[in-house]
Amino acid sequence: MSGAALQASAPARETMRGGRSSLTRSRVRAAWIFIAPTLIVLILIAGWPLARTIWFSFTDASLNSLADYQFIGFENYVANYDGEWFGLLTDPDWWHSVWNTVWFTAISVSIETVLGTIVALILNASFPGRGIMRAVILIPWAIPTVVSARMWNWMLHDQFGVINDMLLRLGLIAAPITWTASPDTALWTVVMVDVWKTTPFMALLILAALQMLPGDIYEAAKVDGVHPVKVFFRVTLPLIKPALLVAVIFRALDALRVFDLIYVLTANSRDTMSMSVFARQQLVDFQEVGLGSAASTLIFLIIALLVVITMVAGQVRLSGEVR
Amino acid sequence: MADVVLKNVRKSFGRAHVIHGVDLAIGDGEFIVFVGPSGCGKSTLLRLIAGLEDITSGDLFIGGERVNDLAPAKRGIAMVFQSYALYPHMNVYDNMAFGLEMAKSSKAEIDAKVRAAARMLQIETLLDRKPRQLSGGQRQRVAIGRAIVRDPKVFLFDEPLSNLDAALRVQTRIEIAKLHTDTRATMIYVTHDQVEAMTLADRIVVLNAGRIEQVGTPLDLYHRPANLFVAGFIGSPQMNFIPCTVAEAGQDGIEARLPDGGTVTVPVSSEGVRAGAAVTLGIRPDHVRLSGQGTLTGRIELVEELGENHLLYVNVGRERHLTVREPGDARHEVGQEVGLSLDGGFCHLFRETGEALPLLKPAGFPTSRPSAASTSIA
Ligand SMILES: Nc1ncnc2c1ncn2[C@@H]1O[C@H](COP(=O)(O)OP(=O)(O)OP(=O)(O)O)[C@@H](O)[C@H]1O
Ligand SMILES: [Mg+2]
Repeated sequence: MSGAALQASAPARETMRGGRSSLTRSRVRAAWIFIAPTLIVLILIAGWPLARTIWFSFTDASLNSLADYQFIGFENYVANYDGEWFGLLTDPDWWHSVWNTVWFTAISVSIETVLGTIVALILNASFPGRGIMRAVILIPWAIPTVVSARMWNWMLHDQFGVINDMLLRLGLIAAPITWTASPDTALWTVVMVDVWKTTPFMALLILAALQMLPGDIYEAAKVDGVHPVKVFFRVTLPLIKPALLVAVIFRALDALRVFDLIYVLTANSRDTMSMSVFARQQLVDFQEVGLGSAASTLIFLIIALLVVITMVAGQVRLSGEVR
Repeated sequence: MADVVLKNVRKSFGRAHVIHGVDLAIGDGEFIVFVGPSGCGKSTLLRLIAGLEDITSGDLFIGGERVNDLAPAKRGIAMVFQSYALYPHMNVYDNMAFGLEMAKSSKAEIDAKVRAAARMLQIETLLDRKPRQLSGGQRQRVAIGRAIVRDPKVFLFDEPLSNLDAALRVQTRIEIAKLHTDTRATMIYVTHDQVEAMTLADRIVVLNAGRIEQVGTPLDLYHRPANLFVAGFIGSPQMNFIPCTVAEAGQDGIEARLPDGGTVTVPVSSEGVRAGAAVTLGIRPDHVRLSGQGTLTGRIELVEELGENHLLYVNVGRERHLTVREPGDARHEVGQEVGLSLDGGFCHLFRETGEALPLLKPAGFPTSRPSAASTSIA
């Protein structure tokens, strides 16, 4: 705005070239100078590894002979020898890991969003000790994932774990449950630990959004006699929706890349294997750099696709309601 | 019946005592205005009546019913907030209808009420807009509309016009006055603006530091302020105050001696006042006259032209200033020496405690300006 005003007030200096004044051009130049360092660092630490991974996914490189490989085109993704299909896209284990990851993301992010909202609403109310509560609730988020996963591993241990012990004493179960090993419970267990760990993060993001809301409309609602539940759904929720959407995208991105939690809790179990765990297994355990890179590339594509879908859907909804 | 009665109402926030025992009876259909300096507790008192704050002690009755423990929605009140407090994501129609949905009214009934209010406030064409697509004045009308559709027994306004420009203020003020005549609802109105207070109020309540200083009709407060605070607060520019001593306390008034020797006889009751007591003499800028040989002399320090009249700030010595308001354009210049005469009939006297001495003329205060001829003071 001030730029436009400046331009208009200095017509003498304005040398029109391609519809841009010299002032605009010097601003654009300054902008490039300022973002150049960031761009260079990004290219070095993100662009280069990404490009290399994508390149490796088209080769037959292996971990013990990284220098010596051949370009094999799309064979890591899909290939046909004598009528039989090979490659990642035909591998049921890969698709199983994709399904696990998506399922884990959908369930855990949903639960975290609901719980996070509830916790944020509680923390937003004024009660004695609120400051301490806000700090305490962040502890699960502050503990490194590997540490908390190990901790839960012990608590969930089928023989020595405190959780089985408690449930047995309460008479809720008849025999100890192998939480992380049984196919029925393994993925749910992972979800539960993730919810325990990440709800605080969600709550904090939502709390920040809640604190931006004007207080007076709640007083108006009080005078209007609107029931608190209705106030939440008709006033609070629509107003924090943009922030909520950002929080959900953040968390979903994180959840789609999930690795450490699942790897520590259940190792390479097929029942819980996520895309990242699958890629690591190919890369490290099987030394298949080509195949692992192909898996990594697909992870990148899947996440990018889901983010675009979410953002477009969110935009449409947002613009439909706010405007 | 929707009279509002406060009995010894107190409010503290933790250890901070904000309202110190307010007694007030507001009649059905009355327009009451709360005025007072910033932080004196006007908003707090209004919020206590609305039920947005809990009353610490004392009783509040609306329409004869004790409502201390009643939720705001059950008190039959509607409130217009200074900040409008519109729901930002709802359009104008929904903003007004939202509260009614809760009252279990039928769709047709809600629609009729909202449209009637919109017509009354001339916002019919704006019903589909969001609050941020409205100007300040339009938002304010929507806020008032939201109050109207609730059909309240008591309207509460917290500085509803303070965010509007001068012209819009006058217009909306007139609309609020019309709303009062149309609905005959009880209205309680908080403002900083003297003109709003004087023009809208049936009675004005002057608050200071959580206490009521005086309650009365606008002219009552203007002509018969009960104490120094009210005298100084009502009227603009402020009343002039001159510290005096009592020269003589007689039947038909008190002769007050000014700091530099002159005397003024003020027709006030001299009961309990002895000669030599310290008093404060008050006179409004309109009632100070310029004259050749006045009670006081001073040098003009500042001239402010306002068009229909002008203000002179006169230094009368010892760091004391008197404000004089004269009609028309200024005929004096800065630095000029002038004489000022004070007509005792237009003066107020206040005891050392700040309490006003009762005026002897009960029927009313002289309303005409003192003429130059009548300023014959020794
Ligand atoms: N929630 C609160 N907690 C503590 N003190 C408060 C609270 N609300 C108001 N106060 C105090 O109560 C006093 C009166 O506040 P109030 O808002 O009623 O003033 P006001 O007369 O409306 O002032 P203004 O004209 O500036 O709006 C102030 O001193 C304020 O600091
Ligand atoms: Mg206030």
